[in-house]
Amino acid sequence: MTAPTMADRADAPAPAPSEGGRASARRFGTVALAAAVVVGLVLGYVGGLFTPTLTRPGDASVEAGFARDMTTHHAQAVQMGLAAYQRGSDPEVRQIGVDIALAQQGEMGAMQTWLRSWGLDPSGSQPRMAWMAGGQEMVKNGLMPGMATPEEMARLEAAQGRELDVLFLELMITHHTGGIHMIDGVLGNSDEPDVVRTAQTMKNTQQSDLVNLRNALDRLRP
Amino acid sequence: MSISTPGGNQSRPSVVSTGKKPAADRPAAGGKPTASGKAGGKSGATKPGAGKSGARPGGGGKGRKPITPVKVSQGRAWGPIALFVAVGVLAVSIIGYGAWASFQGSKPWEERAEAIEGIVNFRKTDPELVKGANHQEGPVQYAQAPPVAGPHNSSWQNCMGDVYDAPIASEHAVHSLEHGAVWVTYRPDLPADQVEKLAERVRGNEKTFLSPFQGQDRPISLQTWGYQLKVDNADDSRIDDFIKTLRVNASIEGPNALCSGGITATGNAPRDGAQMPQTQG
Repeated sequence: MTAPTMADRADAPAPAPSEGGRASARRFGTVALAAAVVVGLVLGYVGGLFTPTLTRPGDASVEAGFARDMTTHHAQAVQMGLAAYQRGSDPEVRQIGVDIALAQQGEMGAMQTWLRSWGLDPSGSQPRMAWMAGGQEMVKNGLMPGMATPEEMARLEAAQGRELDVLFLELMITHHTGGIHMIDGVLGNSDEPDVVRTAQTMKNTQQSDLVNLRNALDRLRP
Repeated sequence: MSISTPGGNQSRPSVVSTGKKPAADRPAAGGKPTASGKAGGKSGATKPGAGKSGARPGGGGKGRKPITPVKVSQGRAWGPIALFVAVGVLAVSIIGYGAWASFQGSKPWEERAEAIEGIVNFRKTDPELVKGANHQEGPVQYAQAPPVAGPHNSSWQNCMGDVYDAPIASEHAVHSLEHGAVWVTYRPDLPADQVEKLAERVRGNEKTFLSPFQGQDRPISLQTWGYQLKVDNADDSRIDDFIKTLRVNASIEGPNALCSGGITATGNAPRDGAQMPQTQG
């Protein structure tokens, strides 16, 4: 539409051979229009091709930071849960232990799959917890909120029977409390539907775990 | 301030250039009469002759002369052109850099690993060694020091960011490599402050572990399954590159292979069957 009128206007001061001039202008306008349509389609296709790549979470995103750090956080819970399952004496403690270990190992698989689908490494370039406001101040000796120290883990690995039951419950209550704090950090700052949904599921599970862990601790603590 | 000043500078040259352009055209226009007087008579005769013979009224010829030079002089306003070119070049370079950076970042980890200076890729040099994952009891002889792959004990060394202050059994450590861990080793004579810098990278970082290693030829060595990098200083930035690129990625068993529940004891001798509790409750 616009191309032919502009071509006409350009022809206006030019001399008489009006028939041929308008025809060529019309032909030029058609070609220009066709070219514009082709270019527009190509741009749209290329844009559509790259939009998922450009809009997926990046290396320094909240989502990637959460996936990496929560994987490490979960890995310690798996170790605690399996210790309780293998060497605990109370049936409920052993049951909770294996439940937490398998649930969190499964969630680690989901988080690692996110990273791979986003084209990101399991390891980040940023410090631990940098994705969360004030997060880096929460890291103590490389340990994120709620994580047990190497000394506490050594005590858990050495403990047996009722002593192990109680120590596991105490450490896991602290662990879950810190974990929920991290989950809240992603829930308020991500609009990736799958990340938000999985994080909400994690929070629900850990909150109901906490009720049962505390009840068991009340029952078993000497 | 900063915005108005370049805008003012750039709008002025466009005014100046309109003055220049007609001046540049005039000698060409003035050249026509002189040329037509000599050999240029052919071109001087044909051009106006063809124009007039084309049934154009004299008014059209007069009208053309003022219009065409004005159009040319207005079209070559160099200020806006320079501005658009500058903005265009800036935009293209920003987009280009972004595309290049994301392309580099999206390279497969194998390519990024190859780009780390000094890395040794045993997957290329010794594919048989890297393929095998047999469990084997007792001591195993490894061709590399520290080892990077090969048969290993059924128990793995705990690799939940463990910092071991004494040598550990390679037979357990190699199993941890198979699970995707990065094993950072140092010569026992490495200064304590250098050891601490390595420990800071490992502590709390699951799928990594640190220990001294007797008999390695360089102060610091990093191992994952099939890859090795030896450096002299704990401040070397390639240490972080190696960990970021290869941790878990280099595992042949995927990210769900365990690092917990492993051997936490030190000592060079492997402990057969020591990973599982001996008395099950």
